[in-house]
Amino acid sequence: GLQDLCLRDRGGRRRDYHDLGVNTRQAMVHVQESKTGLSGRMIKLTSNHYRLTSRPQWALYQYHVGYSPEMESRRLRSALLFQHEEHIGRTHAFDGTILFLPQKLRNRVTELFSRTRNGEDVKITVTLTNELPPTSPTCLHFYNIIFRRLLKMLNLQQIGRNYYNPGDPVSIPNHRLMVWPGFTSSILQYEESIMLCADVSHKVLRGETVLDVMLSLHSQVGEERFRDACAKELIGLIVLTKYNNRTYRIDDINWDGSPMGTFRKSDGAEISFLEYYKKQYNIDIGDPKQPVLISQLKKNRNIEGAVVLIPELCSLTGLTEKMRSDFNMMKDLAIHTRLPPEQRQREVGRLLNYIQRDDNVQKELGNWGLSFDYKSVAFTGRVVQGEKIFQSGNMIDYNPQFADWTKETRGVPLIRAVPMDNWLLIHTRRNHDVANTLIHSLYKVSPAMGIRMSRPITIEVDDRTEAYLRVLQQRVTPDTNIVVCILSSSRKDKYDAIKKYLCTDCPIPSQCVLARTLSKPQTIMTVATKIALQMNCKMGGELWSVEIPLKQVMIVGIDCYHDTVTGRQSVAGFVSSLNQTMTRWFSRCVVQSRGQELVDGIKACLQTALRSWFKWNKCLPSRIFVYRDGVGDGQLNTLVNYEVPQFLDCLKSIGTDYSPRLTVIVVKKRVGARFFAEIGGGGLKNPPPGTVVDTVVTRPEWYDFFVVSHTVKNGCVTPTHYNVIYDGSQLKPDHLQRLTYKLCHMYYNWSGVIRVPAPCQYAHKLAFLVGQSIHREPNLMLSDRLYYL
Amino acid sequence: MEKNFQEEFARVITFTPPLYKQRYQFVKDLVEKYKPKKVADLGCADCRLLWMLKFCSCIEVLAGLDISASAMKEKMHTLSPLPFDYLQPSERSLTVTLHHGSVAHKDPCMLGFDLVTCIELIEHLEESELEKFPEVVFGFMAPSIVVISTPNSQFNPLLPGVVLHRHPDHKFEWDQAQFQSWALEAARCYDYSVEFTGVGHPPKGMENVGFCTQIGVFVRKYPQTGGSVQYEKPTEAVYKTVFKAVYPSLKDEKYLQNAVVSEVIFIAQNIKQHLMSKHEEYDDDPERKDEFQPSVDCFSDYLGKLVFDKTMEPFISGSEVYIPLATIFSFPKVNQLCGTFEKLCKLIAGKVPLSSDGSAVVFNTEHENE
Repeated sequence: GLQDLCLRDRGGRRRDYHDLGVNTRQAMVHVQESKTGLSGRMIKLTSNHYRLTSRPQWALYQYHVGYSPEMESRRLRSALLFQHEEHIGRTHAFDGTILFLPQKLRNRVTELFSRTRNGEDVKITVTLTNELPPTSPTCLHFYNIIFRRLLKMLNLQQIGRNYYNPGDPVSIPNHRLMVWPGFTSSILQYEESIMLCADVSHKVLRGETVLDVMLSLHSQVGEERFRDACAKELIGLIVLTKYNNRTYRIDDINWDGSPMGTFRKSDGAEISFLEYYKKQYNIDIGDPKQPVLISQLKKNRNIEGAVVLIPELCSLTGLTEKMRSDFNMMKDLAIHTRLPPEQRQREVGRLLNYIQRDDNVQKELGNWGLSFDYKSVAFTGRVVQGEKIFQSGNMIDYNPQFADWTKETRGVPLIRAVPMDNWLLIHTRRNHDVANTLIHSLYKVSPAMGIRMSRPITIEVDDRTEAYLRVLQQRVTPDTNIVVCILSSSRKDKYDAIKKYLCTDCPIPSQCVLARTLSKPQTIMTVATKIALQMNCKMGGELWSVEIPLKQVMIVGIDCYHDTVTGRQSVAGFVSSLNQTMTRWFSRCVVQSRGQELVDGIKACLQTALRSWFKWNKCLPSRIFVYRDGVGDGQLNTLVNYEVPQFLDCLKSIGTDYSPRLTVIVVKKRVGARFFAEIGGGGLKNPPPGTVVDTVVTRPEWYDFFVVSHTVKNGCVTPTHYNVIYDGSQLKPDHLQRLTYKLCHMYYNWSGVIRVPAPCQYAHKLAFLVGQSIHREPNLMLSDRLYYL
Repeated sequence: MEKNFQEEFARVITFTPPLYKQRYQFVKDLVEKYKPKKVADLGCADCRLLWMLKFCSCIEVLAGLDISASAMKEKMHTLSPLPFDYLQPSERSLTVTLHHGSVAHKDPCMLGFDLVTCIELIEHLEESELEKFPEVVFGFMAPSIVVISTPNSQFNPLLPGVVLHRHPDHKFEWDQAQFQSWALEAARCYDYSVEFTGVGHPPKGMENVGFCTQIGVFVRKYPQTGGSVQYEKPTEAVYKTVFKAVYPSLKDEKYLQNAVVSEVIFIAQNIKQHLMSKHEEYDDDPERKDEFQPSVDCFSDYLGKLVFDKTMEPFISGSEVYIPLATIFSFPKVNQLCGTFEKLCKLIAGKVPLSSDGSAVVFNTEHENE
């Protein structure tokens, strides 16, 4: 199997990011023949996939290389072997044990003799172990290694998994950021051929060191909160160092450490960091009193332990949560990173051009007997019919091309409007006027929606967390419909405290609004409309629906939130439908500390979800569809072999006569594939919402498809990948695709189509709220409402 | 039998740090001492020595030469600039080049070096190549300093398993007398002085054996003559360049400009935010007053000290913030990068929004709110 293969590229990561070798389709008889849907109109598409071709009868020859006596160092092993280039040839890939050659050696076993610098004679035995056809998983792994070699030959810099061109960086001085253009690439076996999937990637680098960040934090928050602030800001971030080309994740800060501290070198000598960096890299560390950073080495690598890093010698990459929420920064970044379809395809084409033009690269490819199709693959997709939106008996007439019905639903009564007879509005003195504006605007917009609204109890507080909490404790009663808080700043602690109290100790829906959002007269009506809708959902209201032809169906959405800062907590959000129209959702979540298995908690969630479904429908669902989001690259195997059986177990435990049909679909938003619709004159545009792709660029061993459900204003739309890993439903692919697309219309915080099925987005929202603010499971009293929106 | 073997083993000489590291350290120490700007390593193989030397801040040009292109290619990417080098371009400039060729051939790209190192090189040369070697290195390249290291065959009996040579590719290994007479002859012929030393001390009581690796350090006796005889008839280029990396440096206008522009905008942004946060009032936000400091308070002390002249004070006028360049120039980092105020103005021209008279950075305040 693949585990045996240890041909390593830099860093020795062996994780299988592409989930190779997980063959789930073979167990699903109804999609053996075909997994393609039929409905919709055809559309001509191209993508960012390029065929890899090899010469006829191509094979890769795998050899095992043994040394006698045994040689430890990988470098020495290579050096000794390559003394015999006349025998093994100049084209080879070798990791110290396994040797790949493009041609077969004369004999099955070749013995070679070398001598080390110490005069030791070494016998090298090269034994043929495998003749690999182009499609074998080992070969795929090998192609990727060779391709990375090519990128290196093109002088691209590797950062993490991708390659970047440091030649023409874009600097964004406003935010001290630098953006490097680059590429992500992977070579995989797709439906009909092996292809390179290449996409544009941008690396955000920061022009300041970790020490700079620490110093500026110090001046911002002062001595007392300094350490906390540093931990919050820095832990989990990826840094680059000044002296090597590795990336490290900051796992901890050692405040007792300093560059004056010492460590033991591999030869046993004790040396201080100051001395070491001076001696090894001629670097003078300016601040000998700075703390040190700790980076844990990954367990799945051979080495275990921690690396100590000096803040002054580390520069930050990527964006922090804080930066992501900075609207202006993201806007400035988007100018450089969101490329429209044609430009994106042109940039990727540039990479292929480099490959095609570089003599060395062409030589290397030629030596291996490989080449690429330099034109991207073209195929047809389908655009399925737009979904009808219903609201209180009205069919909403909107243009499916825009995937949005905000305007069309304005002034239309909701399916279920929850009255606001008893509600609280809390604000500071400074926001008195803003609060009044909000009340008046809500009065204006709510009657048309059918929401009955009384005057709220308004309470003025000091702008302190304790003041808010005191008011909540004194004034919220079990009859309170909802609590609205107007906050003066987006400071998280106040928000967290309010949410925590009202989600756990005192389960009442709440709505926090930033005063700033209400301060502009020209947008206040739009804002008030949105707030009214959101509050209504939080109280258990229903907005619109789509036609769901399947009966007795329960839809489940699962997503995870991983807290990188405090204690490595992970939260799984679990959301399941309660009614036929999919307008009401049950929710629970699992808060899991490090080392615990998420799935045990999910099992319990499924049990309570079925109980609630029973309460609402007086029977149990006959079909269950689980949309599972939050699955990382390389985790598919665990899901198939562990999580799915647990689901089935759980269903079995409900009752002996109960055997519903379960379908589990893995939802992936981060995919490398991009699709482009051809328009006249060779131009490209984004494929329209409803585009389904289930041929050519899907994987033969999976029952998978792509759906483009949403639209984007700028840049390229990212298709969402759906991988059906278990299907007891026997539903036709067409029907499953349609169901999936329908569910993308049901997210009530956005009057339009979204990228994932609504339950996934709800689960994401819930997991995020709990992970960021609440840190434990909210009160189950709230579980039948969308309080987490 | 067992005991014999152990005794045998105990006599095996090991070096800490390993000998190759000691050789490289020797070169590094030499670089620290003489501070050469241009260094070439002949027979650079896996580029390990070059990689170590790229961290020496005095070196601005590094070149490697080897007869095997594939040996160089294996690790040549370790000589590329790191992302960090792009993020914070250094003061010095550095160019690293690798050439594929033989030390028996002259190529003008090897002219003008301060230090040429030949670590464990000469013993790999065929007789015909060795014959041409002094003329190429001392006569043609003629750097101020040449370092040559080679095995000392007198030491070989102390090394386990060495029968003839330490490495099968060695064409010869010299004893101390052989190396020294060859070196002295070369030095005499090309007007160099030479001193002998080495790394890898012999065991106690066997000092006459000499160092395991013998080293000759050659220093040119005549001063560098700008357009001397050998420069006159330009030799044709025979080496093939297999790698070239130009490190980002502030000496390069492009990187300097980038650094200055981002620093100026960053400072100006901070000052602007500082001004604007003062502009707003927080009457009912006690928390804000006692603990939450706007992100630029570190600058306020600084500004307090600097503002002695009214013309340097940043101000808000209508919907625009003016931050005088004089204020920005007084920040040490900007000052250090630009040197002169004129240079600052020149570098940021067209890159930073300025007031009509060009004396201040101007930002619009309304842009800030979404």
